[in-house]
Amino acid sequence: MTTPVLRMAASALAIAAFGGMALAQDVAREDTVIFDLDRTIQDPENFNWMTPGTKRMHGAHQTMWEPLFILNYGTGDLDPWLATGFEANADSTEFTITLRDGVEWSDGEAFNADDVVFTVNLAMTNEEISSREASTIRSQVASVEKVDDLTVTFTLQNPNPRFLVENFGVRIFGSFLIMPEHIWSGENAATFAFNPPIGTGPYTFASASSNRAIWDRNDNWWGAKTGFQDLPAPKRVIFLGSGGEESRAQLMLSNQLDAAQNVTIGTFEAIQAQNPNVIAWHDDYPYAAADPCARQLEINTTVAPWDNANMRKAVAHLIDRTQIVNIAYEGTTEASQTMFAQYGSMDPFINAVVDAGYGLSPNADPAAAQALIEGEGWAKDGDYYTKDGETLSVNIHVNSASTEYTRTIDMIVEQLQRAGIDARAVPVENGVFWGEVLPFGSFEMSYSWLSCGSVNEPWASMGRYTTADVVPVGERSPGFNNTARWDGEAAEAYTAIMADIAARPLGDEAVPGLVAEAYQYLDAEMPFIPLVQAAKLLPMNTTYWTGWPTADNYYNHPFFWWNHTHQIIHNLEKAE
Amino acid sequence: MTSQDNVPMTRAEKQQAKRLKRFDNPWMNPKLLWGLGLLLAIVALGLLGRIFWDPDLVFTGSAPLKLPPVGFENLRRQEGIWDYPLGTDGGGRDMLAMIIVGAPNTLFVGLLASLIGMSIGIFLGFSAGFLGGRIDDTIRVLADVMITIPPLLILVVFQSAFGDVTLTMMALLIAGFVWQSPTRLIRAQVLSMKQSGYVQMAQLSGASTGHIMFREMLPNLVPYLFGSFIASVTTSIVTAVGLEVLGLGPQRIPTLGRTIYEAINAGALIQNLWWWWGIPTLLLAVIFIGLLLINLGLDEVSNPRLRKLS
Repeated sequence: MTTPVLRMAASALAIAAFGGMALAQDVAREDTVIFDLDRTIQDPENFNWMTPGTKRMHGAHQTMWEPLFILNYGTGDLDPWLATGFEANADSTEFTITLRDGVEWSDGEAFNADDVVFTVNLAMTNEEISSREASTIRSQVASVEKVDDLTVTFTLQNPNPRFLVENFGVRIFGSFLIMPEHIWSGENAATFAFNPPIGTGPYTFASASSNRAIWDRNDNWWGAKTGFQDLPAPKRVIFLGSGGEESRAQLMLSNQLDAAQNVTIGTFEAIQAQNPNVIAWHDDYPYAAADPCARQLEINTTVAPWDNANMRKAVAHLIDRTQIVNIAYEGTTEASQTMFAQYGSMDPFINAVVDAGYGLSPNADPAAAQALIEGEGWAKDGDYYTKDGETLSVNIHVNSASTEYTRTIDMIVEQLQRAGIDARAVPVENGVFWGEVLPFGSFEMSYSWLSCGSVNEPWASMGRYTTADVVPVGERSPGFNNTARWDGEAAEAYTAIMADIAARPLGDEAVPGLVAEAYQYLDAEMPFIPLVQAAKLLPMNTTYWTGWPTADNYYNHPFFWWNHTHQIIHNLEKAE
Repeated sequence: MTSQDNVPMTRAEKQQAKRLKRFDNPWMNPKLLWGLGLLLAIVALGLLGRIFWDPDLVFTGSAPLKLPPVGFENLRRQEGIWDYPLGTDGGGRDMLAMIIVGAPNTLFVGLLASLIGMSIGIFLGFSAGFLGGRIDDTIRVLADVMITIPPLLILVVFQSAFGDVTLTMMALLIAGFVWQSPTRLIRAQVLSMKQSGYVQMAQLSGASTGHIMFREMLPNLVPYLFGSFIASVTTSIVTAVGLEVLGLGPQRIPTLGRTIYEAINAGALIQNLWWWWGIPTLLLAVIFIGLLLINLGLDEVSNPRLRKLS
């Protein structure tokens, strides 16, 4: 009987305390930077980034947790952050990282090699941890050792010249984040909630609910004390769930948002017409920044009839990429030739694949598709193909967070429908899409970018489709690798070539040839269908803050949901 | 033959004659006719439109993007062209084709849902009112419980679970939430009617329950049932459009609600693409006004006291 009363009293006290705190910490709008969040925070009380959910992109890894290095997309260098440098042995099996001196957790404890060794060991020993970064560490590292307080040595299972950029360099989205040993030790990493969270970043956690997270500046941040960086100008950072494109646009217009997620070009032009303070990556058409994650149609290769390579190839022939570019992207991107991001640094590999005859056409080839489908025994009956009384149909799951995604799938549905496949779009909320649909293979086809990874070498993308990562439907794909569950002889042959490429150093001259050789299996089996290059049109508001990343101010790319956003926040300056 | 017969009628007499004529046939009620006219116009739009216009233009990517209606300019200074007289939306769909296909679809969902709902309501209402006892208790409690549940809440859950639904599926789901009030109202009517002389006479002469319920009593309720039917069509359409505007309706089959959803989702307001959301909204207004007029008209048909005297 006393428990509820106590609980009520406690919550009344808590409310009073928080109320008082909120008043005490009122931060003016001009001292606050507000970023757009394109998903709900399903578990705002949980900060264990090693488990699935919105645990990082709501500000945690942009303000509170810092990476060891940050890959600079402009220069191609690894900018040091919590680490100052590294050394590798000749065959890339041993990496020694030097940590920065004077780094502190926000509770005053020192950040050092013990934390690194502890966190890496957590990921290596706890099989239940499922995040992509933790799985990658587990599959690569043989052992990790502390040399002294500021030096850590990694021994790898296999040679991997990309080890640092892949795991600690924020190459795509995140990096392996180091956690404080003095708080995590003794906890089960698969269930620990890590609340209240602490980090080494210049901001500390203030509050979070399902649609926003608030982070306040720690004026006692180690970086300012040691002279690593000045304190960032914003006193408060908010990540705010904005909803759809229309509300995003309205918030930008009324200056209630400083950086918004992707909008269509028409919306951007309308925003800019009414609020000239809003800018984007380029000053002019097409405004958008190239995103390294090329779009593709994911296929679950375990579900009939799509377990048949010819059927998948038929779908690939039916896709008119030009139409997707024109309708879904309003001309702001280009058709994919291969699975790779069409960056200049990827040209040698793209050219090798195209020269070998495995490039993708920007236009559809319905006749080739028809031949393949009919070759598998399907016949047109009315509008659709049928076989044994069954209509050829497919459900395509699509993340409903952006018009770009849904409209691309609307377009593909239309193209398949016209060809005689009863395709349907199944829109799903962002969190559900990444949390439940994709990793467990509970889809026939879906729209995503899971071969994303390569920006200057081919393995990061190609290596995601090896047979090592095949798990049954219903089990979580390790790190979203091979969610297609592509298996069989061709996949084995492909995997063998991948192992060869993986061991070669960056810039090895044989690699483009090997890429082309491996690509024959992707071309023949189509475990996924590359669609178009991605471009992100992110409106950024200069009413309160300037110093946003743009093509003219290219200190790094503008994808503010990534772990490198520390750089963006440090570059922000109060508008005059 | 006296000369009086040829005297032309005075204005007042003419009006009186007209009025009497109108009273002769209560179904020639102007409100009813206007209402029916509006709905038939939508149906005709659907039928004739399919003949004279290409309904395939309703699919994504079949037309240029964001063209305004003829006579207007969009933000990019493109002018409307006669190939797409009502303009196109952000996904390359022709607005004229959209209303040709979408407006009858919206009406269809409403009619089907309330047809099913009313049938259930009539059956249950009569059973409860006439048979009484346990059956009455069960049906009454069921209807009372269901009436307290907000339908949109449950439908949102259902539809999100189903993913893509067909129009018929959606109508069936909505029908599950429009039978309660007819059931209750019909039950009340039947209870009072049960006591009337002709029903007791029929009972005494040994007519079967089914006969009494549906042959003796039902015809007396027809105008009332019509009114109730139109009211539930309105409710069904509101529910269907509500779901569609939330993006939970059929994905590929165009409906007015879904068009509004897509317009909002793609930032049509800020881009000033008023035709994208304005035209479907206007058509929805026409449908609702039509239904309202029919309902008012039916009221006057079944209740002579409501008929205007002037």
